[in-house]
Amino acid sequence: MKTFHFKVNGEEVSVTCPPTKTLLDVLRDQLDLTGSKECCGKGECGSCTILLGGDSVCSCLVLAGQTENVSITTVEGIGLTTKMDVVQQAFSDEGATQCGYCTPGFIVTARSFLNSIDYIPTDDEVKTALGGNLCRCTGYTKIIKAVQTAAQIQQAEKAPS
Amino acid sequence: MRVSEIDLVSPSSVDKCLYMLRDHDKTFRLLAGGTDAIVQMKDGKRIPDIWINIKNLTELRYIREEKEGIHIGPLTTHTDIVKSELLQKKADVLVGASMEVGAIQLQNMGTVGGNIGTASPAGDTIPALFVLDAQIELSSFNEKRTIPINEFFTGPGKTVQKQNEMITNIIIQPQSENEIGIFEKLGPRKAQSISIVNVAITLRMGSNPRECLEGKIAFGSVGPTIIRSKKCEKMLALGPLDDTAIQDIAGAAWKEVMPISDVRASAKYRRSMASALLERGLYRLMNRWDAR
Repeated sequence: MKTFHFKVNGEEVSVTCPPTKTLLDVLRDQLDLTGSKECCGKGECGSCTILLGGDSVCSCLVLAGQTENVSITTVEGIGLTTKMDVVQQAFSDEGATQCGYCTPGFIVTARSFLNSIDYIPTDDEVKTALGGNLCRCTGYTKIIKAVQTAAQIQQAEKAPS
Repeated sequence: MRVSEIDLVSPSSVDKCLYMLRDHDKTFRLLAGGTDAIVQMKDGKRIPDIWINIKNLTELRYIREEKEGIHIGPLTTHTDIVKSELLQKKADVLVGASMEVGAIQLQNMGTVGGNIGTASPAGDTIPALFVLDAQIELSSFNEKRTIPINEFFTGPGKTVQKQNEMITNIIIQPQSENEIGIFEKLGPRKAQSISIVNVAITLRMGSNPRECLEGKIAFGSVGPTIIRSKKCEKMLALGPLDDTAIQDIAGAAWKEVMPISDVRASAKYRRSMASALLERGLYRLMNRWDAR
């Protein structure tokens, strides 16, 4: 057991656990942040995606021992039901979720993608950006639409009125 | 040994890391991006006594041009490579390969040194490093040695790197003005997939239409290590690379590769696809060259 200090969604936390425990397990079991989901556990499905220092990564492949002094954003840090981010609002409005298991991963990846652009992406650009996330229910059409809608709202909000 | 019993240490410098690696009583594994190492640990494979977490050694994360070539730090991520203007201009084949590594999440995590160290026959950056004549610098506490990439790999997952060594630099030869390169990959899906076959190609073009002076072709995932296709390379300079010449060269690739059948594809399919990918790559390169 070792103790690690890092920032999650802007708050300083310290966690005591074996250094080889995955960050995903730390978030879910010890910090009660159950938005991030485990699915494949191998970095193929993207349902555990979080932001590590601003970059989207699979939290199932990061070990607790690697988190000392890093800054993490989970889906809870992007927005909560009471105050949703534009991406979350767009997913809800466009019906881009069915069973919902993959949704947190999609939201985090989409947020990180939209942070890096200031235009409305084409279908192909969204597909490339979300290529690391799998959804087995909806068929992606609505997910792609939701990301474009979110980009539209984001642009409108940024534009000087 | 249980996963929870494995220790993890994070040395604060390369020297401290090399000092730790001198210890012969324990088994160590270097942990960089973790995209392969952690998956192996979860599968119970190659479990060390201690992980040496080197991900935060920023002194090994750089891309810079020097006299003898472009130096790339082993902890440079695939995303760093994709975004590098220097590499886009002078090593487009490596940029192309890094774009095909997994999807965004894995490109953000995975490192080029990790891709080399893991030594998977399907590692995407490796064929690109072959055609860029990469030199791999291995350091131990007392010594440094530089190995040409074609002598680095000895089999699937096996390299000449010793237990007390780590990769500390990668030097590639930049492509010149008239050199063009491309990386082609076939996987079960577009993103996050492991290569069934991949190929890296660079061509040095002459002043006549489609005149190729020389070229390099390296296939991945169709042999125990990367295969340089010397026969096809010789054919590149025989005449202008028109459609017939491209088809002939691609046809010859069939005999150059030595694939196996595994869960991802049969050997026969891999052979056919090696030819098809080379043909596609050469067509695309010629279209790009014609448009210049």
